[in-house]
Amino acid sequence: MAGIPHDHYEPKSGFERWLHRRLPIAGLIYDTLVIPTPKNLNWMWIWGIVLTFCLALQIITGIVLVMHYTPHVDMAFASVEHIMRNVNGGYMLRYLHANGASLFFVAVYLHIFRNLYYGSYKAPREVTWIIGMLIYILMMATAFMGYVLPWGQMSFWGATVITGLFGAIPGVGETIQTWLLGGPAVGNATLNRFFSLHYLLPFIIAGLVLVHIWAFHSTGNNNPTGIEVRRTSKEEARKDTLPFWPYFVMKDLFALVLILVVFFAIVGFMPNYLGHPDNYIEANALATPAHIVPEWYFLPFYAILRAFDSEVWLVQLVSFLSFGIIDAKFFGVLAMFGAIIVMALVPWLDTSRVRSGRYRPMFKWWFWLLAVDFVLLTWVGAMPTEGIYPYIALAASTYWFAYFLVILPILGVIEKPEPMPATIEEDYLAHYEAPTRMAE
Amino acid sequence: MTLRTKTLTAVAALTISATGFALAQDGTTTTVPMQPADAQPAAPQTGTTFVATPADGAQPETAPVLDAEAAPAEAGVQPAQAEPVQVEVVETEAVEAEPVEAEPVEAPAPEAEMTAADAPEASQDEAVAAPQNPAASPPATGDEGVDAVALQEGGEAAIPVPTQEGTEPIEEHFAPETGVVEAVTGHDEEAGEEHAEGEDDHGYGHVEDVAFSFEGPFGAYDQFQLQRGLQVYTEVCASCHGMKFVPIRTLADEGGPGLPEDQVRAYAAELLPVFDEDLGEERARVLTDHFPAVSGEGMGPDLSLMAKARSGFHGPYGTGLNQLLRGIGGPEYIHAILTGYTGEVQEQAGTLLYGNSAFPGGWISMPPPLEDDRVTYEDGTPATVDQMSMDVAAFLMWTAEPKLMDRKSVGLVAVLLLLVLTALLYLTNKRLWADHKVKRKH
Repeated sequence: MAGIPHDHYEPKSGFERWLHRRLPIAGLIYDTLVIPTPKNLNWMWIWGIVLTFCLALQIITGIVLVMHYTPHVDMAFASVEHIMRNVNGGYMLRYLHANGASLFFVAVYLHIFRNLYYGSYKAPREVTWIIGMLIYILMMATAFMGYVLPWGQMSFWGATVITGLFGAIPGVGETIQTWLLGGPAVGNATLNRFFSLHYLLPFIIAGLVLVHIWAFHSTGNNNPTGIEVRRTSKEEARKDTLPFWPYFVMKDLFALVLILVVFFAIVGFMPNYLGHPDNYIEANALATPAHIVPEWYFLPFYAILRAFDSEVWLVQLVSFLSFGIIDAKFFGVLAMFGAIIVMALVPWLDTSRVRSGRYRPMFKWWFWLLAVDFVLLTWVGAMPTEGIYPYIALAASTYWFAYFLVILPILGVIEKPEPMPATIEEDYLAHYEAPTRMAE
Repeated sequence: MTLRTKTLTAVAALTISATGFALAQDGTTTTVPMQPADAQPAAPQTGTTFVATPADGAQPETAPVLDAEAAPAEAGVQPAQAEPVQVEVVETEAVEAEPVEAEPVEAPAPEAEMTAADAPEASQDEAVAAPQNPAASPPATGDEGVDAVALQEGGEAAIPVPTQEGTEPIEEHFAPETGVVEAVTGHDEEAGEEHAEGEDDHGYGHVEDVAFSFEGPFGAYDQFQLQRGLQVYTEVCASCHGMKFVPIRTLADEGGPGLPEDQVRAYAAELLPVFDEDLGEERARVLTDHFPAVSGEGMGPDLSLMAKARSGFHGPYGTGLNQLLRGIGGPEYIHAILTGYTGEVQEQAGTLLYGNSAFPGGWISMPPPLEDDRVTYEDGTPATVDQMSMDVAAFLMWTAEPKLMDRKSVGLVAVLLLLVLTALLYLTNKRLWADHKVKRKH
């Protein structure tokens, strides 16, 4: 494995040698823990551990919740109330699980934007990025199906709207929608398959997380300078790095626990803050809520979905050129999935050879505009489609695509990057005294 | 790794396990197990609480004092179902707890008929009867203000199941009078209200903040308020609104109304009977049953989760962050609906709609359910519409979120422990990096 050169595991005792010949598991753990990590990582490099924690939290609370939950349209809502009222600590399990999803998405969005700023997606880390995007898409699928399980009004109507998106695909749409739902409309078959998949997908995510970690352990972490750790010799590598344990484990744990203070304050004091009141009304196929709003973490893409309505000239043009096959509804669906796809393709859309945004004077501004754009999309996604909101949504959606498809490719050509340090060590010594002793 | 780092790490690990332990502890101790008929753990506790925490709210102070005067009335107010044995248990515990509570001794175990017959006078004469058994008293006090029932929406359908005996004054009185109204208001309120509810996001009605006791990180339910709210629900709301997700036994829970178990049992028996699948016939409700589900023409939506199913607060600036200190807003919405009637009435497609400043759209199909002195509180709290609305809103918050107080204490313990852990990890991390991260002085 072509990693950063470092000391490898040497079995010392007789038992260790015996085990190492048969199963080199101690070596695997050792190499994972002491992996050389760029010593200049800043606080935006803590989201990985938060995400790992979230995945574990969701799986553990989820497994216990399943012990008390009944996936049936007549009983699902009541079984959630059973969890809230009768199961020991059940209210805490459920609120941890529901708010855990939100923490998961807060962390993943910050993690993604960290990557976008520091160019972590660029060669040689494209595979890590793509796997990350797969994890993100699976997370969204899992969260969406999990939200259906309590079988409240938003569960039911959210499921109806989202699966309806697939119905917008020309020709095969209706077939796909029926196949997804297990019937003509959201019903017991839908609830059961969503439950099954909601249980399955987290384990696929866990598997992908391992591959994700494996991938960036092979390439090494990116870092705020975007400059690679020197791999010419162990000594040089050591000047750029510190071992993951204990330096980064402790740092990450500190950050995680600080975030958990806020998390537990929300779970303890305002657990329904991020939920929608309508989901405390049992699903009713005969009463449509006036506004069907997805969970907050879907809002940016929901805003993009709704932005491209039939009044946008681009939509009209595409509809005309495609002889009406791509109508406004299908265009919106394409835009929503396209918004994620352009993000996944960013390693090949960004033409700049400089990795870190720190040394890209023009890029910085566009990046922060994208961050504001994302917040704007989240906000406008929760607003009704009337008044000025559709215009804001359309402008914000347009910028999203423009950033990836136009700005990034052009910037790489016209931008003149600022001078960069030659090594991580050089950058580090510009800010900190030379270490008094090397890492043990 | 230095010894010091190791020590700090060990402390951090210990704190993590302590947090887990605290959470686990809480999880296993919060649920009050069901007790067999003769075990009465709730009775002494509640008896004590009434006297020990009179300052808990503005209202209950008067209760213990007035208890003495109310003594004769007690006889009529005793739950019909309370058997002599149970009454004794309660009394004994009450005596131990506080002498004033001893009047029930004078109360002969009354019969069901007595309750019905005596209670009206009792509660009229002694508007401030003892608060021990508000659960049992609703049927009794249900008599006054029944004239108000003329406005009760629903009608006969409100009591679809015939009463077993003449022991349930509420139903006796409701049935004939609401029957008249039924002809006027035959509207599916559930559909109407849920449809309108969706409009909350924009153009929702005017909802005033109410300083409920259970708001904020340290908030707690006011036991007396929950008991009064239960009374309002039972005497007013229950005819059109069910609460199918709320187990009756939870009325005895700590952190809830905290009624003595025998009273809860008596209360359960007075609710609409339940169809027992095993028996193949109807039987009286017992502790383990839930409140009745009420459905049908003219009936209102289930109230079990109403306080969480209506959004109230979105501020500041639409962030909703003030929920941290001012609560979720649902109880305020309920209070605003109940106090928001403008007095206007209009007919639409054969349905009467009532002007309401809090209801999205401004017109609600529920007739004004409350007017002053609609119920008579045992603890002497003046039964103004505002007071009754607040009480029932608080009660419905409890039915929606019965574990609110447990949750807040778990949250508090978790936040405090995690803060300690954060501090320890901060120091650990700082020490760990000390040799590698010394800020260059320029």
